Amino acid sequence: MSWKYDVVVVGAGIAGPIVARNVARAGFSVLLIDKKWAIGTPKQCAEGISIKVFEKYDIPYDKRFINREIYGAKLYSPSGYELEMRYKDVSGVILERKVFDKMLAYYAAKAGADVLARTEALDVIRKDGKVVGIKAKHEDEPVEIYADVIVAADGVESTIARKAGINTYAPPHEFDSSYEYEMLIEGFDPDLIHLWFGNEIAPRGYVWVFPKDEDRANVGIGINSDNPQTAKYYLDKWLKENNIPAKKLLEINVGVVPVGGFVKELVKDNVLVVGDAARQVNPMHGGGMAEAMEAGTIASKWIVKALEEENLSLLQNYTKEWWETDGKRLEKVLKVRRVTEKLTDEDLDLFIQILSGADAEKIAGGDYGEVIKALLKHPKVLLSSRRIKLLKELL
Amino acid sequence: MPEKIKIVVNEDRCYLCGGCAGVCPTLAIEVHSSGWEFLQDKCISCKICVNACPVGALSAEPLEVKA
Ligand SMILES: Cc1cc2nc3c(=O)[nH]c(=O)nc-3n(C[C@H](O)[C@H](O)[C@H](O)COP(=O)(O)OP(=O)(O)OC[C@H]3O[C@@H](n4cnc5c(N)ncnc54)[C@H](O)[C@@H]3O)c2cc1C
Ligand code: SF4
Ligand code: SF4
Repeated sequence: MSWKYDVVVVGAGIAGPIVARNVARAGFSVLLIDKKWAIGTPKQCAEGISIKVFEKYDIPYDKRFINREIYGAKLYSPSGYELEMRYKDVSGVILERKVFDKMLAYYAAKAGADVLARTEALDVIRKDGKVVGIKAKHEDEPVEIYADVIVAADGVESTIARKAGINTYAPPHEFDSSYEYEMLIEGFDPDLIHLWFGNEIAPRGYVWVFPKDEDRANVGIGINSDNPQTAKYYLDKWLKENNIPAKKLLEINVGVVPVGGFVKELVKDNVLVVGDAARQVNPMHGGGMAEAMEAGTIASKWIVKALEEENLSLLQNYTKEWWETDGKRLEKVLKVRRVTEKLTDEDLDLFIQILSGADAEKIAGGDYGEVIKALLKHPKVLLSSRRIKLLKELL
Repeated sequence: MPEKIKIVVNEDRCYLCGGCAGVCPTLAIEVHSSGWEFLQDKCISCKICVNACPVGALSAEPLEVKA
C-alpha cells in the first residue's frame, strides 16, 4: 500500500494531534498515526495540567476527560515541614489521558485529518538523500506514506527524528525514570496536588499524589535516570515508610521523561520534531503536556505557512521561534533544576520551613523573586555562604 | 573499551514504555507495540538503558564470542 499526504504526523500523544488538527484546519491533507491500538492507552502520566491550556490551545473543557479540578499544591520537606499554596480559583486539573489523547485525535479527525491507530512508523523513506516519507506497518500490513512534511511526535523514544538525521540525543542525567500507581489512597486533601522532596525520598525528583477522586490518585515518583536504583524501588519504599497500603492498585504506569537536553535543531529539511521527542519538557517538574501543545502550535503555524507559500525553508522558523520563546523559558528552568539538585535535605527542610512562614500570598502567586528574597533574609541562610551562593545562582 | 555485552529483557517486568529506547544513544533498542527488540550490532555496551528502566527489567550479560 502506498499513500500520499501533504503532512504525516507520527505519534498521537499530545503534540501530534495538535499539529494534525491545526494543519487540517488550514485545508491541507494530514495523516496522524500511532502504534497504539487504542490511542491514549496505556497512559504514562500523572495527568496534571494547568487550567490555562484549554483556552490557549483551543481545547474544549470537556468533563469526559477531566477527573478533578485542583486548587493548588502542597510541598513536603524531608523531615515533614509543609508549604501549602492554595488558590481561590481552579488552578489546574487532573485529566483522564486515555480519553484526552483520544479526543485530541478526534478533534484532528473532525478537522479533516486521517487518523490510524495501530500503525507503527518503522523508518523513513529516502529518495536522492532526501526524506520523502515514512515506512510503516498497519497491523501486519506494510505501508509507505509519502508526504511533503514529516512530523516526529513519537514521544521519548524519538526514533523517527533520529532516523531522519536530527540529533535528539541527551545524556542519561537529563532524563527521569518514573513509576506510578493509580490507586486508592486516603488522608490527602483531594483539592491539592501533593509533592514530597528529599534525597532519600526521590533523588533529584519527587514523589507525587495527584488526586483523581476523594480517595483515588496517581501516586508516583520520578528520579534521575542514571540512578542505579529503580524508580519502583523508591516508590515502594516511600509507601512502606509512610504506612500507605498499596493493596488497591488500579493501574501501574511506567515511563521515562526528558528533563533537559532540549533539541537544538528542531527541523531538518522537511522533517520536524516536537514534544518529548524534541525533549521539550519542563525540567523542574517533568510536565510536558503544555510544552508539547506549545511546540505543536508553533510547528503547525510554520508548516501551514511553508505549504501555503510552497517554500519548505520556512519550516526553519519553527526552530527559531521555539528557541526565542519557550526554549528560552525552559533553559532558565533547567538552570534552576541544576541548582536545586545540589540542595541537601537540611537545605530543603530549612527552605520549606522559611517559606511556610513568609508572605504566603506572594509565594502562592508564584512571585519567584519574592521567594528567593524571603529565603535570603533568613539568618540560617545568611550564615551559610554555600546557601547564599546557591540562592544567588537562582536569581 | 568496556566489556562487550548483550542486553536482555525480562518480559514479565517490562511495560513496553519505550524509555530504554529513548535513552539509548545508538537506537539499539526498538519498542514495538508487539514487543521489545534488541539490535546487537548497534549496541555500544554503555548500559545506560539498564539504569534508566524504571522497573529494572533490563540486565546486561557478557557477550559470548565464538572462537
Ligand atoms: C509517569 C509520568 C508522569 C507524567 N506526569 C505528567 C503530568 O502530570 N503533567 C504533564 O504535563 N506531563 C506529565 N508527564 C509528561 C507527559 O506525559 C509528556 O511530556 C507528554 O505526553 C508528551 O507528549 P508527546 O505528544 O510529546 O508524547 P507522547 O504523549 O508520549 O506521545 C507519543 C506517541 O507516539 C507514539 N509512537 C511512538 N513511536 C511510534 C512509532 N514508531 N510509530 C507510531 N507511533 C509511535 C506513542 O505510542 C505515543 O502515543 C509525565 C510523564 C510520565 C512518564
Ligand atoms: S524501559 Fe524498561 S519497562 Fe520500559 S520498555 Fe524498556 S525494558 Fe520495558
Ligand atoms: S547498553 Fe547502551 S547502546 Fe546498548 S542497548 Fe543499552 S543504552 Fe543502547
